[in-house]
Amino acid sequence: MEKSLAELNKAGSRSTSLLPPEPVDIIRSKSCFRRVRLNVGGLPHEVLWRTLDRLPRTRLGKLRDCNAHESLMEVCDDYNLEENEYFFDRHPGAFTSILNFYRTGKLHMMEEMCALSFSQELDYWGIDEIYLESCCQARYHQKKEQMNEELKREADNMKDIEGEEFDNTCCAEKRKKLWDLLEKPGSSIAAKILAIISILFIVLSTIALSLNTLPELQDTDEFGQSSDNPQLAHVEAVCIAWFTMEYLLRFLSSPNKWKFFKGPLNVIDLLAILPYYVTIFLTESNKSVLQFQNVRRVVQIFRIMRILRILKLARHSTGLQSLGFTLRRSYNELGLLILFLAMGIMIFSSLVFFAEKDEEDTKFKSIPASFWWATITMTTVGYGDIYPKTLLGKIVGGLCCIAGVLVIALPIPIIVNNFSEFYKEQKRQEKALKRREALDRAKRNGSIVSMNLKEAFARSAELMDVVIEKSERPHDNHFSPSRWKWTPKRAASETSSNRSFNAQELGSPNKARDTSPQRLNVQKLEEMYNHMAKTQSQPNLNAKDRGSRVGKQRDEIELGAIQDHGPPVLGTREGVGDMKSLSSIDSYISCATDFQENPRFPHGPAMDLGLQESNRFSHSPATALSQHGTAKTGQQTPGEREPMLTPVSITKPSCSENARRFFFSGNSSKTLIPKGGWRNDGGSGPPTLSDSSVISDHSLLSPEVSVYTTASSRTPPKSPESTTLAATVFTFHDSSISKYIDADTDDDEHNRDISDASPTERLLAGSSPKRNININYQKGVNHFETAQKMLGQNCLFPIEGICGVAHENHVGPEMARRPKLERGRQNTLDKSL
Amino acid sequence: MWTVPKPKYRTGLCAEGEIAVNIGGVRVVLFGEVLNRYPESRLAELLNCSTQNHEVISSLCDDFDPCRKEFYFDRDPEAFKCIIDVYYFGEIHIKPGICPICFIKEMEFWKIDQNVLDECCKSCLSEKEEELTEIANKVKVILEDLEVDECITRTQRCQRFLWRLMEKPGSSLPARIIAIASFLSVLVSAVVMCVGTIPELQVTDAEGKLVEHPVLEGIETACMLWFTAEYFLRLASSPNKLHFALSFMNVIDFMAIMPFYVVLSLTYLGTTSMMELTNVQQAVQALRIMRIARVFKLARHSSGLQTLTYALKKSLKELGLLLMYMGVGIFVFSALAYTMEQSHPETLFRSIPHSFWWAIITMTTVGYGDIYPKTTLGKCNAAVSFLCGVIAIALPIHPIINNFVVFYNKQKVLETAAKHEVELMELKSGKDARRESTSSLSK
Repeated sequence: MEKSLAELNKAGSRSTSLLPPEPVDIIRSKSCFRRVRLNVGGLPHEVLWRTLDRLPRTRLGKLRDCNAHESLMEVCDDYNLEENEYFFDRHPGAFTSILNFYRTGKLHMMEEMCALSFSQELDYWGIDEIYLESCCQARYHQKKEQMNEELKREADNMKDIEGEEFDNTCCAEKRKKLWDLLEKPGSSIAAKILAIISILFIVLSTIALSLNTLPELQDTDEFGQSSDNPQLAHVEAVCIAWFTMEYLLRFLSSPNKWKFFKGPLNVIDLLAILPYYVTIFLTESNKSVLQFQNVRRVVQIFRIMRILRILKLARHSTGLQSLGFTLRRSYNELGLLILFLAMGIMIFSSLVFFAEKDEEDTKFKSIPASFWWATITMTTVGYGDIYPKTLLGKIVGGLCCIAGVLVIALPIPIIVNNFSEFYKEQKRQEKALKRREALDRAKRNGSIVSMNLKEAFARSAELMDVVIEKSERPHDNHFSPSRWKWTPKRAASETSSNRSFNAQELGSPNKARDTSPQRLNVQKLEEMYNHMAKTQSQPNLNAKDRGSRVGKQRDEIELGAIQDHGPPVLGTREGVGDMKSLSSIDSYISCATDFQENPRFPHGPAMDLGLQESNRFSHSPATALSQHGTAKTGQQTPGEREPMLTPVSITKPSCSENARRFFFSGNSSKTLIPKGGWRNDGGSGPPTLSDSSVISDHSLLSPEVSVYTTASSRTPPKSPESTTLAATVFTFHDSSISKYIDADTDDDEHNRDISDASPTERLLAGSSPKRNININYQKGVNHFETAQKMLGQNCLFPIEGICGVAHENHVGPEMARRPKLERGRQNTLDKSL
Repeated sequence: MWTVPKPKYRTGLCAEGEIAVNIGGVRVVLFGEVLNRYPESRLAELLNCSTQNHEVISSLCDDFDPCRKEFYFDRDPEAFKCIIDVYYFGEIHIKPGICPICFIKEMEFWKIDQNVLDECCKSCLSEKEEELTEIANKVKVILEDLEVDECITRTQRCQRFLWRLMEKPGSSLPARIIAIASFLSVLVSAVVMCVGTIPELQVTDAEGKLVEHPVLEGIETACMLWFTAEYFLRLASSPNKLHFALSFMNVIDFMAIMPFYVVLSLTYLGTTSMMELTNVQQAVQALRIMRIARVFKLARHSSGLQTLTYALKKSLKELGLLLMYMGVGIFVFSALAYTMEQSHPETLFRSIPHSFWWAIITMTTVGYGDIYPKTTLGKCNAAVSFLCGVIAIALPIHPIINNFVVFYNKQKVLETAAKHEVELMELKSGKDARRESTSSLSK
């Protein structure tokens, strides 16, 4: 045991700032294992070293060659030589496909993976994306290109927004205001009104343009030719004046003149205005009769260009803009459409020409002449000015109709698809813009600043929790399919913990397993049980009713406080029981509930509870440990130790330390290294232990707070009153443990056998409860059935109460009322014992 | 996921008739009797071979822990979890997210027959496999293009050079120029063919008949000469003459050229009075229609057109459906219209075959207006036939369009995939070469 501990000290967690392992050790560990354990984000993998050697230049390949601590740390995030395990803090989902690349030489991509994140993972592992198999390649590149395009567009948008800087020239302030007024109808009411007026002018001018061509409204000029109605000409002049003014103001206020000039919308504006001035210029400058005809023709052309002003509406309609963009983007498909039509027209018009040309007074005089017919038929317009008369011509005509319908319909869905995609994107961007603006506003108001600190905290907590949960899930299957229904998460956590422990197990298989000595009386235990049964059963059942839970939680807390007054052990137990229920609830509930709890603990019975709990923990550390999920388990053990060893020391740790360690512990739960650290702490001295306990508290808290948030909120209170915090944490552990235990009940028998097998270990444990606990934990985990073992051990324990509990477990599974909750409690009790 | 009390995951040594396997870090204890349901599978073999025979064991698994009796496999545990299902359910479902191709490889490793894969997953697999073969074909084509000239003889090298010049516009600048020239000549000849029929541009020949303008005829001849040259160069350079002559695009090319020479020979025969002149002229007229085939030559230059033909080929069934719907509708409505319009004295529906035309034009919503119903009943019938026509066309067209869109998108994807594949192969070959060189160095 001593030796293994020493080794752990060397190889184990660097969280305790021990000396890094010597290269010799690293080489030795590498040489004595054929396989290596890779823990990626909590998911353990086992792989042959020689498999990794297949790609020596990738990250995993380098892992093999690294023999120094520093270089090893560059490659992986953490490692444990004892367990021959290396930890990478990466997404486990992508890693399975990457590891398969080593195994099979084929790189496939998980279907649901985001292409971007997958490419990032590939970068991290040092694998070139070119190795992707062609069956996944297409999908990968398509997605990646799509994403890149989207990102680029977003970046452009951002640039557009940020690029409007008016710092360079005079009266920048005013120009910016003017620019906003003219260009951003959403910025103010005045701008909106301006936009509406502008739209009205466009509509008015187009109406005037159309009315102008009505013969009834036209005047005749001196040459006997029709000219514009004077009233309408006035309207036209006013409209043009408005347009011109708008354009000039925009131009003046624009931050970048050349860019403004180039903008497609502004080109349209210019084209809408120019014809009017050109016409005026031409008519005024050439009054002579001689040139008049030519001028008139030119003027007519410019008149047509006035139609362009209807496109000015595009400025005010995203729909029109996206239409324009779609056409630009799908010019390929448009070309295809036109090509299809052209070919159809060509073929059918020549066919119908040859079919009809011998008919007298036929209208199909030539192939170009029958183009018209083919067009009108293929588009199914069918004016009827020209139609085939012979039988052959009619057959051709019928085919032409059907072919036309087909040919036009084919490329259109692609264009439509483009359009809808772009339209959706546009909508999304508009929303994103609004959100960003809201965010900016919030930042300016300062309402977000306070949030940020919390968020940062919460995020770190989230990271941990998420990883843990993910890692846990896959294992669940193995362990307990039947449990799935009611406690999937817990089961998962258990399994994960078990695994991580497995790794450790190798290093120190025969350390003392058993739990600490037991000071609890049978009566007390029973009391606890009952209490827990009451409290827990309900919360578990209605895990989703927040309100009810909160209420219960309160009650429980109160109970705990009350019991504190009585015998210390009892009080603690009860408190624990309550806490458990709370914690379980919490894990499900989001931050809101957590917040409520947090304040309570420090203020209320927390101190008492903490002490009590600590006692209790000392009684039964092993069981608690065994059942917890990875993060929880590791943390729990230390927590338990602490109270026993050095209650005073708890106060020591600073906030920052806690946070750091907390984080570490989260990782460690997977990697196992942190545990080693724990042990070391225990061995080295009380102060370190206290730290660890604090950490454990954090970890414990994390389940309650859970992934969602609030971790930050708690942290501040903890530092000052570390003891109270620890207490809360412990309670949480218990609850979680109990859940886990419930799940594990089925396997109790096995556990017992195992436990029986090693009595010496127990003895050891008795002598040095802290270390023993850890070891037990690890062992149990290793075997996958840690929980079971623990239970078995409990049964064996000298204390009567415990034995009774254990028996109950075995018998109890069939009992209707208890099954889950009671077992859980029993387990917890066992642990406490 | 594990719904049945199947594999046991536990720590102890496994009992008699059980084996413990460790697949990439996941430990499973399996019952021997269950494994023996598939005696050919790797696990069953492992079970049946004695634990003493280390060579056999090492050939079956990657590592063996004798004290724990644990067999280690360096494989994907996720896929194994799916594959193990076969022992319990007799069928395998691919876990969503795992690439089917990759999964099949795993199944091969575990020596489990592909037939146990459930139907629902098989379709997905075959889809992927099809895609892969298509990519492989593309890659082959690309590789052929890239292939270095290893031909021994000079003629072969010339042939290859010509082939690339004519068939692969992307291979070099001259090839691209030739492709563009060919495209333009197709366009010009099509335009000339159309313009030639305009009466104003025609000239009267000695017999008072309208013939094509001599300039146009000159252009036409030039184009035909170009087409002919192109065709024969292609034929000469093609590695497989018969295959070339029978391929779709080349048949079209041939059809575009052939009428010109037939007309030439016929007129020669006609002028030498070996044949009746009128007969010759009729034949020439008939062959003129064949000139239309040259428009299809454009398909060679447009992937969109090729996609269209491919989609149409694939959706022949739907096209048949469309024609059948239309045929039934035409028959029914023309008969109805004929009988209903009988009562009107000046009816335009003189017979049922005559009213077929009306039915087509109405059902396709063209509506020329040359024939239209005049009685009230007939008008009602026309309205119904119009509605039915829209539906009859819209229904079968949808799958056709779908086919087209799918092919169109797939074409794009395949192109990039094939390109990538080539890159990958280059990379791998480069790596092999490097490895060889390093190994030789080390020796």
